[in-house]
Amino acid sequence: MALRYEYAVETEDLAKYYVMGPVTVRALDGVSVKIRRSEYLSIMGPSGSGKTTFFNMVGGLDRPTRGKVFIDEVDIASLDAYELAWLRAKKIGYIFQTFNLIPVLTALENVTLPMVFTGVEREERLRRAREMLTRVGLGERLDHKPGELSGGQQQRVAIARALVNDPVIVLADEPTGNLDLHTGLEIINLLKTLNTEKKVTIINATHDLKMIDVSDRIFWLRDGKIERIETRAEVAVKEVE
Amino acid sequence: MSGEEGVKFPLSEAFSFSLESIKRRFGRALVTMLSIVLGISFLTFLLTTGRIVSVLYGEGSGVAVQFYQLWMAIIALLICSVGIVNSMLMSVTERYKEIGTMKCLGAMNTHVLEIFLIEALLLGLIGGGIGAVAGWTIATVWQAFTQASSANIFMISAGLWAEFNPSNPLLLLANPLIAIALSIVISLLAALAPAYIAAKLSPTEALRYEV
Repeated sequence: MALRYEYAVETEDLAKYYVMGPVTVRALDGVSVKIRRSEYLSIMGPSGSGKTTFFNMVGGLDRPTRGKVFIDEVDIASLDAYELAWLRAKKIGYIFQTFNLIPVLTALENVTLPMVFTGVEREERLRRAREMLTRVGLGERLDHKPGELSGGQQQRVAIARALVNDPVIVLADEPTGNLDLHTGLEIINLLKTLNTEKKVTIINATHDLKMIDVSDRIFWLRDGKIERIETRAEVAVKEVE
Repeated sequence: MSGEEGVKFPLSEAFSFSLESIKRRFGRALVTMLSIVLGISFLTFLLTTGRIVSVLYGEGSGVAVQFYQLWMAIIALLICSVGIVNSMLMSVTERYKEIGTMKCLGAMNTHVLEIFLIEALLLGLIGGGIGAVAGWTIATVWQAFTQASSANIFMISAGLWAEFNPSNPLLLLANPLIAIALSIVISLLAALAPAYIAAKLSPTEALRYEV
C-alpha cells in the first residue's frame, strides 16, 4: 500500500450533541485530532466519555452535529450514500464489543461478506477468507456458526472480517469488553501483530488498561473532550514514578 | 473515487442470501409461511367450491352463494394479511442488529430492502403454492364425496372439462394460480413497510436496537 498521506484520520472540531428532552448531552464536544497511518491508537476514558460516539463518527456510522472527519484526506460528509457504503466496505474494518457476527452464517461466510460488497469473485472470496481465518488461528473452525464458538473465537472471526478487505483503518469499540483477562490479552496481541504486519491503522475505543502496553499513543477522553494525548513511553514513565 | 470503485450486490447474490436465510431460519420461515398457507388454502377452497357448485347447478343458481363466498374470501384474505404482516414485522425487527452489521460491511439501503423483499417473494410463492394445492385438493375431494356426480368433480374443479366451462376452456387451475399470485402480492406488501423502515435505519440505530 502506497503511503500517500501521512494521516489516515483527521478530525476538526468534531462534535455530537444528543437532545434528550430539555437536556442537551454533549457526547462529543470539539475534538480535533490527527491519527497517523499504521498507528496503533487507544482512546481511553470512563464510560460516557464519548468513546463510542467518536468511533461512530470516525467510522461514518453516524453524522456529527458539528465538525469534520477526514479519512485519507476525504471529508466523509461530502460522500453520497454509494461512496459512504464503499468507505465502510473497503476502507474501514469494524470490530465491536458484542462481535456482531451474522448468527446464521458460518465463520467462513461471515468473513466473506465484506468481499461480496466489494465485488470479489466467489472463489477468491473463499480463498482469502480461509487464509485470513487461518491467520487469526481459526483454520480448523471455518464451518462453525458463531453460536458454536467461544467469545474469544468469535472476536477472532470479527477481526478476520474487519481485515479481509485490507482496510486503511480498523475501528474497534471495546474489543475486549466481553472477554476474560486472558482471552482479552490474546485479542490485544493479535490486533497488535496484525497492525505491525499489515501496517493498518488500528483505533481502539476502550477502558481496558492492558491496551496501553501495545498502543503507540493514547487519547484520554473526558466529557466529550480530549483531556490529554500521551505516547506509550510517557505512560510508562509515569508508572515508574 | 474512481469509477470502478463502488459497492456491489448483484441480484444473484441477494437471491442466494435470501434463500440461505430462509433455509437456515427454517423455524421462523415456517411460522410466516403457516399464516400464508392457512389464508391461501381457505381462499382457494372457497373459490374452487364456488366453481364446482356453479358448474353443477348452472351459473345463475349461485348468485347469492357467490356473493356470500366473495365476502368470505375477502375476510379470509384480510385475516391472512394480518398474519403475514405480523410475521414479517417480527422477522424484520429481530434482525435489526444483523441489518446494522450488514450496513457496516457496505450494504446500502436498497440492498437491505432487496434481501427482505426477495425473502417475502419466496415465502409468498412457497406458502401460496402449498396453500393453493391444499385448498384445491380439500375442496375437490370434499365435493367429490358429497356430490352425486363425483366422477366429474376433479375435472370441473381443475377447469379441464371444456364442456363445463365453455366460456374459457383454458382456465386450467385458474383458482389456485390466482391464489398464488395474491399470496405473493400480499407477502410483498406486508414486508414492504417493515423492510423499508429497517433499510433506512442508520447503522448505529440498527446496532443499538435490542429486541
